[in-house]
Amino acid sequence: MSTSSPRRIRAVRDTGDVLAGCVLMTASAILLFYLVPNYISEPPILQNPMMSPRWLPRIVGGLMLGFSFLLIVQGLLVDNTGKDDGRRIERGTRLRFAMMVVALAVYVVLFEALGAVIAGILATLILFAAHPVRIWWVYSLAFVFPAAVAFIFVKVMNVPLPLMPF
Amino acid sequence: MEMFSEVLELFLSLDNFIAIALGVVIGVVVGSIPGLTATMAVALALPFTFSMQPVAAILLLVGIYKGGMYGGSITAILIRTPGSPASACTLLDGYPMAQQGHAKKALKTALYSSVIADFISNIALIFFAAYLAKIALNFGAPEFFWLICFSLTIIISLASGSMIKGLLAALMGILLSLVGLDEVYGSQRLTFGNYSLMDSISFIPLLIGLFAIPEIIEFYRKKALPHIKAKASGVGMTLAELKRCLKSIIRGSLIGVVIGAIPGTGATAAAFISYSDARRRSPNRDNFGKGEVEGVAAAEAGNNGVAGATLIPLLSLGIPGDVITAIILGAFMVHGLTPGPIMFQENLTLIYALFVGIMFSSLVLLVVGSGAIKYFSLIADIPKSILFPIVLMFCVYGAYAVNNDTFDVWLMLGFGVLGYIFNRAAIPAAPFLIGFILGPMFEDNLRRSLLIGHNDLSIFVRGPITWFFIAITVGSILLAIYRFVSARRQLRRDTTQEAS
Amino acid sequence: MKKIVKAACLAACSGGLVLGASVSTASANEWPTNDVRLVVPYAPGGTTDVLSRRVADLLQDELDANVVVENRPGAGSTVATGRLARGGRDVDHTILMASPGHTIGAAIYPDLAYDPVKDFVFLQNLIDIPNVMVVPADSPFDSVNDFVEAAREQGMTFSHSGVGSSIHMSGELFKTLTETNMTAVPFAGSGAALPALLGGDVDVSFENMPTVLSHIRSGDLRALAVTSAERSEYLPDVPTLAEIGEYNLDQFVTTAWFGLIAHESFPQEAQDAMSEALASVMKREEFLDFAEQLGAEPGQVGGEAFKEFIAQEVERWQEVAEQAGISQ
Repeated sequence: MSTSSPRRIRAVRDTGDVLAGCVLMTASAILLFYLVPNYISEPPILQNPMMSPRWLPRIVGGLMLGFSFLLIVQGLLVDNTGKDDGRRIERGTRLRFAMMVVALAVYVVLFEALGAVIAGILATLILFAAHPVRIWWVYSLAFVFPAAVAFIFVKVMNVPLPLMPF
Repeated sequence: MEMFSEVLELFLSLDNFIAIALGVVIGVVVGSIPGLTATMAVALALPFTFSMQPVAAILLLVGIYKGGMYGGSITAILIRTPGSPASACTLLDGYPMAQQGHAKKALKTALYSSVIADFISNIALIFFAAYLAKIALNFGAPEFFWLICFSLTIIISLASGSMIKGLLAALMGILLSLVGLDEVYGSQRLTFGNYSLMDSISFIPLLIGLFAIPEIIEFYRKKALPHIKAKASGVGMTLAELKRCLKSIIRGSLIGVVIGAIPGTGATAAAFISYSDARRRSPNRDNFGKGEVEGVAAAEAGNNGVAGATLIPLLSLGIPGDVITAIILGAFMVHGLTPGPIMFQENLTLIYALFVGIMFSSLVLLVVGSGAIKYFSLIADIPKSILFPIVLMFCVYGAYAVNNDTFDVWLMLGFGVLGYIFNRAAIPAAPFLIGFILGPMFEDNLRRSLLIGHNDLSIFVRGPITWFFIAITVGSILLAIYRFVSARRQLRRDTTQEAS
Repeated sequence: MKKIVKAACLAACSGGLVLGASVSTASANEWPTNDVRLVVPYAPGGTTDVLSRRVADLLQDELDANVVVENRPGAGSTVATGRLARGGRDVDHTILMASPGHTIGAAIYPDLAYDPVKDFVFLQNLIDIPNVMVVPADSPFDSVNDFVEAAREQGMTFSHSGVGSSIHMSGELFKTLTETNMTAVPFAGSGAALPALLGGDVDVSFENMPTVLSHIRSGDLRALAVTSAERSEYLPDVPTLAEIGEYNLDQFVTTAWFGLIAHESFPQEAQDAMSEALASVMKREEFLDFAEQLGAEPGQVGGEAFKEFIAQEVERWQEVAEQAGISQ
């Protein structure tokens, strides 16, 4: 368990946990007091409160509220940052991250407009360049793979994809 | 004796062998492609069975089903992208193993436990079909409700690290699973008028997004690391390891068989139940989730144990337990056969020929799987800077193909970002997934029980099956509390010793 | 790296051997000039999907063109239907397998962006599957009359395969017409609903014929009535609900119909080609065998008559949905 660490006397905080707890607490409060009453309709006659479409969302929201409170308390009292739970990373350049975001955006925004093949080629090229691949012929894969895979999907397996923009 | 020769005659044709082999190969390949599930492969292959002999036709589909069950684990292990929902559990330990240079060992473990589980499942199908079918019929909504409650206790054992975070993740999963049309009243829940959300959030984009995309995001955020080339992707599974895992495999297979025989639960739940059971019993409990061979074995045994057993309600009762068996039922009907008690009277030789073929398919799976590992394990040697862009492309194509909808690509990336945030905040993704799968089953069966019982709560304790599941649910919770308390005490003892 | 490429090629080829057998052989001079897309508004599996794949297979021969089945599930078929109604580039080569979800969906889903009748051309009704009113084998009720009398006294439960399915709506229609006290118990599909019926957890169901036919024959379920206008040739001893003659049941005639529709702008030439092709498909032995297996009757209506039928259905289900309180 994550509680109790030898250093607890220092009353240090785990800012990450406190932050996560606050975000979740806000989210569950919004859920409980805004989303559930406004976006889940309840039938006029109910024989049992458990039958209501709102019943489980309400319970889940309530529990989330409680547990996120506990998470904040835990974050205030216990320091888990020393533990190796994969939270620390050495950051790379901003440019690389930005290029990845662009590649994702290409897929999401242009997938239907450009077709699977062109969007695939474009995004793959961007990603190859982002984490630079230095072997030149690998770049040809960025053309071969999207085209070949899209072809196999559509023609061999009859799984439809938007192939081309026209 | 006469019957025996008839069965052999029906089975021993080249067509049947080709059908099984091709089926398994297609299943493994399609199952390993993210987003393309065994279900889809079976549906796509259905038209090609119309012109085949009935036995060959069914065997082709069964082959695809079994191959797909195993194939999903390949990409789960290698690139953290579950090829099918049921293999989501395999990646919990399989991917860490691959990261540590044991890709081949993980793949072999998955294969051997799949084949053993498959074999056990087939035996159950052939010898205990009638008995298991009876259990299935006694499994009504209240029994289901308690089974789900028991399954929910898995979350406790899956919440590695922080219990609070694990429970929060599970609650979020349940919440998102409730989006869509209400099952009883048909009213909208949190769909915000969006038609793509009315059928609830699609599972495949969620799965790919939650596991594969965060790896990719993280890779491009991190400082570049020199590629460590794992030599020949490590060694296979040793006999000693197989022996160590055997108990978990057999237990997992039996869990799979029971879950498979009950229509409507599914392989994913079986895999997780088997996994958490193995973890609970294992002496190296703490290594689970960090690359434990037994974890891979248990997960795969659980999901493959389901494959043969889902045919039990189909063949003996004519009830399809999941989508794949529904399609196989369609194939039977196209050939003028109706599964169910009558088929056992009228077409017994055909059923036995099918059984022989199904037994044979386990062997084919072993051969095809071994061949697949040889080539697939090389993926582990490809530098991530080349591999990940191509994986992302597969993920996008696969997510789109599920519903032919760009919305699912959005969903996948959205869950990718969520998964990434989970990683950063050390919130485990597995309880989220369990919550997402079990949430609707919990609610539906609760409400179904109330409807069936005319709001009388005594329906929840109506028979031995409910008592049994109540008992193990309570037991499972008590065990968790006991473990928690004793771990606490141990820690306190350690600290006081340190102090003095 | 090379090995992987080789493996990929091998895999692709082996997949191609079986799945890729369909090669386009479209003749160039008339419709179809392209692959024909058959949209299935439901997920793979299920009657609609299997039927569509069977029909696509046969249509392929008749049209001499590739017929690609595309599953586009969502919101009880209304997502796929809405998309077809919006049109788009392939609209002159797209057909859709419509089923009761088309008319019921129009009745129960809010703010549909299309008109279920006006926005489409109706090609051909392929098959009609009656629903069967079934009770478990150990049920005390032997006839519809027994059942209705009992249901007026005590509460009854009926299972269905999901809100808005023809099974659900049949139950609601029965409840409204007979003024009985019945509660709907939803399941995720007929496969999940069947055990509850066989195990006696629910009192009655109005299941589709193919789902329960074998259980009726084996004696695990008892058929009280069929919902079609005529008795079914597969269950000749079972009366129709309309025959009962009491409790307003003469108004209870409904079948699960399956038929092909297309966008309103579907060219006349294509309509002619399709109706010719479908007429020969429906005469094919493979088709008739399949229909028999489903316990279905080949559909009778096409074109305008089909359209009229749809219009009536929409109206009827709207009324039922309103009375049952499932219309939003």
